[in-house]
Amino acid sequence: MKLSFKQFRYKFFELLPLLLLFFISLNGSSIINVKFFSINIHYILVYYWILRKPENLGYGFIFLSGIISDVVLGFPLGINALSLLMVAGVAAYVRVVTVRITLVNDWISFIPALLFANFVYFASLYYSNYSLDYLYLLKNSIFTLIFYPVLWGVFTLIVNLQKS
Amino acid sequence: METSREDVGIVIRSAFLKRGTQQRFSLFALTILSIILIFLETIDFKSLNTIRSFVKDIIYRGASIATYPSKSFSSFYQLMENHINLYSNYKELITENEELKNNISKSDFLELENSQLRQLIDEQVASPSNLVSARVMLDKQSPYLNSFVINIGGNKNIKNGMAVLDGKIFIGRIVDVNFFSSRVLLVSDLNSKIPVLSQPSGNHAILSGHGTSEPTLEYLSENHTIQDGDKVYTSGKGGIFTPGIAVGKVKIDKKKVKVLLFSDLSQITFVNINLGELNK
Repeated sequence: MKLSFKQFRYKFFELLPLLLLFFISLNGSSIINVKFFSINIHYILVYYWILRKPENLGYGFIFLSGIISDVVLGFPLGINALSLLMVAGVAAYVRVVTVRITLVNDWISFIPALLFANFVYFASLYYSNYSLDYLYLLKNSIFTLIFYPVLWGVFTLIVNLQKS
Repeated sequence: METSREDVGIVIRSAFLKRGTQQRFSLFALTILSIILIFLETIDFKSLNTIRSFVKDIIYRGASIATYPSKSFSSFYQLMENHINLYSNYKELITENEELKNNISKSDFLELENSQLRQLIDEQVASPSNLVSARVMLDKQSPYLNSFVINIGGNKNIKNGMAVLDGKIFIGRIVDVNFFSSRVLLVSDLNSKIPVLSQPSGNHAILSGHGTSEPTLEYLSENHTIQDGDKVYTSGKGGIFTPGIAVGKVKIDKKKVKVLLFSDLSQITFVNINLGELNK
């Protein structure tokens, strides 16, 4: 069966979050560091897509992506997977309880997602006897939260392009 | 309207336990699986280690392919930068060459004197033939963990704890060995603690990483005599590393004894692994 351009475009935008997810993990670039700024794009990607279009990003893939990140970055297996699943969990909860889609709602509900995920991250690294720069973790959380609307805009554009 | 406890329970069940739209696994099941994996990581069991090594080797290969475009881009950028800075680099090299020429005769004499003194105290001089070379396969510096992956592992008798050198300069140690790959923990990492000796002041200390390019010397004696410019070498205390491998030079900054590493950790392509002490 021949794919029309429209169908191809639809499929491409449908697969884009998944491609991004695995690109980020394999490339080891879940955290973007630019001078003083430090943003966890992995969390934002998972949170946005589980909240808006969970059919495009399976929990199994999120788990797998976390495992890949753990191996690439040299952490014990399961740590990134668990914190990403925490983000997905909060997003799934928020999706069930909210009706209206607004940036402000998403942004505010992203705070507990970040807190849960970082707490799990910290606790599991502590359990595995890994030292961690807590100030860096705090800085990363703050900038991830501040940067959320920017990626929210980009991802919403992708969703709209898929729809059109 | 007040939300009852039942409503919250229904929402949590719906979000965590049900598979949801086109989801094959429930969040709850995957969360439990992740916790089991974290727990399993703390268990040192042969068959578990074999599976772990196999999984890690596959992922490293995949990641090495996936990072190829970004690696090529950064090498191209580096090449362009080198071309632009060609003239200033040339001038710097001329000055450096002059200094090195002046130091060669002095260094030859010291080397001879050193080996004679070592023979006098019956200490075995480390053989350079104990080195094995490897290529850096994956260099993704996590902000939390400064490490990289090299392309040899158990297949070349690499073992945990072995010293990793950039040329003849100490840069880190092996912390994780798979069949065809190993992970090197760099001296700049927060988890890195290396026993070192400063020269000529002769103070023993622990070189501690902080996640930045400037590790510091800790556990120095109160009346230490370390000065700016002192050289830092591995002391060999604890019997893990060969003594006398160069690490860097001291820079005292606001009472903190920092070490400027001789090797630029962001520009390493090939490394040597010292098989010496551990393979005996």
